[in-house]
Amino acid sequence: MVTIVEVRELEKNYRMGKILVPALRGVSFDVEEGELLTIFGPSGSGKSTLLHLMGCLDRPDGGEILVDDSDVFKLGDDELAEIRLTKMGFVFQFFNLLPRLTALRNVELPLTIAGVSEKESLKRAEELLELVGLEDRMGHRPSELSGGEQQRVAMARALINDPEIVLADEPTGNLDTKTGWEIVQLVKKLNREKRQTFVVVTHDEHIAEAADRTIHLKDGLIDRVKEAVGRKQ
Amino acid sequence: MRLTKILAMAWESMSQRKLRTFLTTLSVVVGITAIIGLASLGEGFRLEVRERMQTGFELDNLTVIPGSFFAGLSRERFMDEDVEKISEISGVKVATQVMQIGNVTLSNGNRTVRAFVATAVNFTEFVQVFPDRFDFEDGKLPEEGRNDTIVIGYKVNYPKENETTPFAVADDNITLTLRMVEKEPFPHSELQNYTYVVAGTLQKRGTPGITNFDYWVFIPLEKAREIYDTQESDLIFVKVFDLEESETIAEEIEDLFPPFKITILVPLTFIRQVDNILTIVQLFLMAIASISLLVAGIGIMNIMTVSVMERIREIGILKAIGAKSRTILTMFLTEAMLIGVMGGLIGVFMGYGLSYVLAYGLSGLVQPDQQGTGFQSPETQRMTISPVFSMEWTIVAFAFAVIVCIIFGLYPARKAAKLDPVEALRYE
Repeated sequence: MVTIVEVRELEKNYRMGKILVPALRGVSFDVEEGELLTIFGPSGSGKSTLLHLMGCLDRPDGGEILVDDSDVFKLGDDELAEIRLTKMGFVFQFFNLLPRLTALRNVELPLTIAGVSEKESLKRAEELLELVGLEDRMGHRPSELSGGEQQRVAMARALINDPEIVLADEPTGNLDTKTGWEIVQLVKKLNREKRQTFVVVTHDEHIAEAADRTIHLKDGLIDRVKEAVGRKQ
Repeated sequence: MRLTKILAMAWESMSQRKLRTFLTTLSVVVGITAIIGLASLGEGFRLEVRERMQTGFELDNLTVIPGSFFAGLSRERFMDEDVEKISEISGVKVATQVMQIGNVTLSNGNRTVRAFVATAVNFTEFVQVFPDRFDFEDGKLPEEGRNDTIVIGYKVNYPKENETTPFAVADDNITLTLRMVEKEPFPHSELQNYTYVVAGTLQKRGTPGITNFDYWVFIPLEKAREIYDTQESDLIFVKVFDLEESETIAEEIEDLFPPFKITILVPLTFIRQVDNILTIVQLFLMAIASISLLVAGIGIMNIMTVSVMERIREIGILKAIGAKSRTILTMFLTEAMLIGVMGGLIGVFMGYGLSYVLAYGLSGLVQPDQQGTGFQSPETQRMTISPVFSMEWTIVAFAFAVIVCIIFGLYPARKAAKLDPVEALRYE
């Protein structure tokens, strides 16, 4: 298996007034190409912090993340933005779609930022909305879509740049059980059919059960790693 | 990100906040309208004043007066050689001296009229200096060599308003009463009568300048010199070939005399000074108008800062999916620029519109008095201010609007660009 992201001794502290609160205290693991990795843990265990660091949205206080064998945190802000644009896709708990744009426009947004022609980006956005089962909701704004539909739009947006890795932060956390289950099925489908790598921060047992590997975080440290039965090494 | 896309997104974002965009743009419109309105109206006013002054003053004429305003006007007078020296200066077309005799009366047996000034002139030279002023209602210029002829100005011939019967016509004999100062046996003045033949009467001319021939009568210089037994004269009028040279020639004339001996009235200098003053007033008004644009800029900064606060989450999303800080900066600056472009364009059109409305209103208000004094023309025309369209100002004002908007949009745009994506995504 090919390692696409290497997380090494990652540390992150937050300052709450005069007190320094450690969120991550030396976390190391690899992300393999095509795997569905979940990060599981109670609130405050450092899951979201880890995801933000892996997504180059934040910088650590110690440790490194290697993408293509180089430490991303040695890069400038613009280069990190470029990595987010070309190698990462994001799915958030609260969908984070732009309310004034239609589903189609929301999905094509990363390609718009990348400077891809409108014709090409619209075609690709349409394909992805079809893939997530929203071909008849393309012209709708987020306020006209259900939570599950919004999360599908977010999923399509995360995939539009053909990212090496999709980072999802509690993707089912804001959905009812049935809709959450549908999203889990979509993640599984994309992972299996398209060999799309996912790192999912979740509380959701369904996703954890579907994962190739689950990292349990506790108090900013890896408590244990659970691998799916029969996972290829 | 492509610039066209950034433009489209900025436009989209603005059109979703229509009222806010409208009000922000309106503040720019008001500023630019004021600047363009005042600039074009001011220029129109300046040109009108200049044109009026040019028609009032013979710009290529210099008037040499004995004494100096700084050192006290002198009782000294000019001699023939002074005129000769001035005539020799290169660029001088003609120089002619005149004697001025104040408060004279003319009588034809039935009626007596008064003239402001009886000016004794060499008609041949004098007409060369003031070729446009001798339009005769009746008669013509005196024949050369005749010493007993007089030319009468319009208001002397028709002293009362709307009078139709002239005091005199050509070839009439009239009596000119001059006041003579006698020193013996003690200093006193005496009135002396002289008979003249009317050579011609002048048409109504009027002038806003310093010499109004309507109130003058003209007699031959030789005769006046004979009467007063003097070779001196009061004023020298100089006509130059090229009016642009009038200031240099004035300096050369000044150099011919000792310091503070003479004063030269140079209409070009006077007009330039008035022109400069009007330009300063115009710039001052425009500067005041510019303040309104700066206020608009502060309004833009305020609104955009609010807008950034409202869109923190959106900025976080854009950054998370790969937008660089400078893309965010460009997006917000583009919104500011679009406000500037729209406000500038509308403001320019409205500014010219406003200047025409104001010009119409002001032209009616600035109605000159119809007083018939020696210095004010009884025939002053109604002031008509025509606003002037200037491409330069249009471009400058438009660029000013855009630049002000961009400068004031810079702070909120930088604020947006510097947002930490994680913090921005967490923002509720």
